[in-house]
Amino acid sequence: MSLCCEETFRISPGFCLLTAWFAAVNGWCLTVVVLGAAAVHELGHWAVLKALGARTLGLRIGVLGAVLAVDSRGLSYGQELAAVLAGPAANLLSAAVLAGVGMETAAGAHIVLGIFNLLPIRPLDGGRALYLGTSWLLGPAAGEATARWTGAVTAVVLAAGLGWLMIRSGGSLWLLPAAVGALAAAGRECFEK
Amino acid sequence: MTSRQTGRRIASISAERRRRKSGMRSVSRPAAGRREDHPRPGERRQLLQLVICSGIFVLLVAAKLVLPEPMVRVNARLYRAMEQNMDVQAVFSALGRAISGENGLDQTADEVYQAVFHPQENDEAVQTAAQITAAQAEGAIQLLQEYRRDTSLPQEQAGQEQQAADTAEPQATEVSTLAYVLYSNQNLPEGVSLEQAILDFDYCTPVSGALSSGFGYRDHPIEGEERFHYGVDLAADTGTEVDCFADGTVTAVGESSSYGRYCMVAHEGGYSTLYAHCSRITASSGSAVRRGEKIAEVGETGIATGPHLHFELQKDGVYLNPIYYVSVL
Repeated sequence: MSLCCEETFRISPGFCLLTAWFAAVNGWCLTVVVLGAAAVHELGHWAVLKALGARTLGLRIGVLGAVLAVDSRGLSYGQELAAVLAGPAANLLSAAVLAGVGMETAAGAHIVLGIFNLLPIRPLDGGRALYLGTSWLLGPAAGEATARWTGAVTAVVLAAGLGWLMIRSGGSLWLLPAAVGALAAAGRECFEK
Repeated sequence: MTSRQTGRRIASISAERRRRKSGMRSVSRPAAGRREDHPRPGERRQLLQLVICSGIFVLLVAAKLVLPEPMVRVNARLYRAMEQNMDVQAVFSALGRAISGENGLDQTADEVYQAVFHPQENDEAVQTAAQITAAQAEGAIQLLQEYRRDTSLPQEQAGQEQQAADTAEPQATEVSTLAYVLYSNQNLPEGVSLEQAILDFDYCTPVSGALSSGFGYRDHPIEGEERFHYGVDLAADTGTEVDCFADGTVTAVGESSSYGRYCMVAHEGGYSTLYAHCSRITASSGSAVRRGEKIAEVGETGIATGPHLHFELQKDGVYLNPIYYVSVL
């Protein structure tokens, strides 16, 4: 495909380190399952974008996840919303199929990824979808305000919930990065113009 | 990445400052002057990040120098918290079972919580301890009944006893194996107590691993004959960190043909612990150690059939069963 030539594909060293760490802790099997779920997610986005005729400019894979760079100028709100929701939808569909086949671990990985991405916090698909949906119905200003406040409140509640769980169960620092990330997202929504 | 950029920025700022100083006399470049007076927001943020990072660094170094003792404790606590790894696979499969309709929502939430936080670790230790004491009590009662039957039965009830013996046959063999497992006090070697002492200090499990051999008589895995086992064996991979059971002083570090590399730690109240078959002892003899501090690494030195920690607990030279104080997987 000619697309391949103009696409830029970048993987950050941080992502490689994270993958290596995850593989070391949880084994290759699980790593492949999780990476597969992420690939299905991005393929969902990409397939819809391709069907709509949008140009994907590249894929950047970083520590926080993969970001598909898209030239979205030609897309309407509805079309972009469909493209954004395609990723989580692909995950949830795969989860249903895999659960039906009996591959429970893979199904679980897909559902975790799908639902996590549907959280209405901005860098995630859910936040973007909320912005696009309300902008479509009520105009961009209302969309921006809704996405901003919903995102901030959800992120703060999420961080508080994770913190409470960590304190109550007296351990497991592995939820700390998630809590800090949620707080950072809330801060960005509140203070950054 | 950002710190490198910041570093470059600082270098360029100082270079500009130097240039400006010399430029006062000659020609100052207006662009350089303006940029220095009003740094761009991105640059200001990078500088701020650098200042915060170095502030945290200086603060931590100062804390470590001024308050070494609390810092060691904080380190140990932090390490234990980080050690608790969540079981990603279990989380995924619990959720997978939930969608396929095998489990209800309650059970799923429960399983996910267990997999993320491992809260069962502490409960399990208590449960095993309770089970052991319950089993012991039950066995002891049976032993007593047996004893009474043997000694105090009058001669005239011999016929009845014969009848009872027929029915009690399976029970009797059961009791004898139980007595074997229980090591009633007559069978115990010198210097061993089965009592569960109450420790007055905080303690922790040296190695989290499966119990591969308990305290008491067993067929020796290599010698083949029956021997008393004065400690518990906790199976773990070679190189796994061995944490000190409680605060104390290392009294001996050495190597023997049977124990392999071992070390002994004396605790308060006349208690002492021994850690054997280690691949490496990291604590040095005579040093003070704290609860949870790393003192050795698991190995299979000495007489061992696989990597494990042989852990013994003594009070005033009497061996106690360490199982009451450790949690096993």
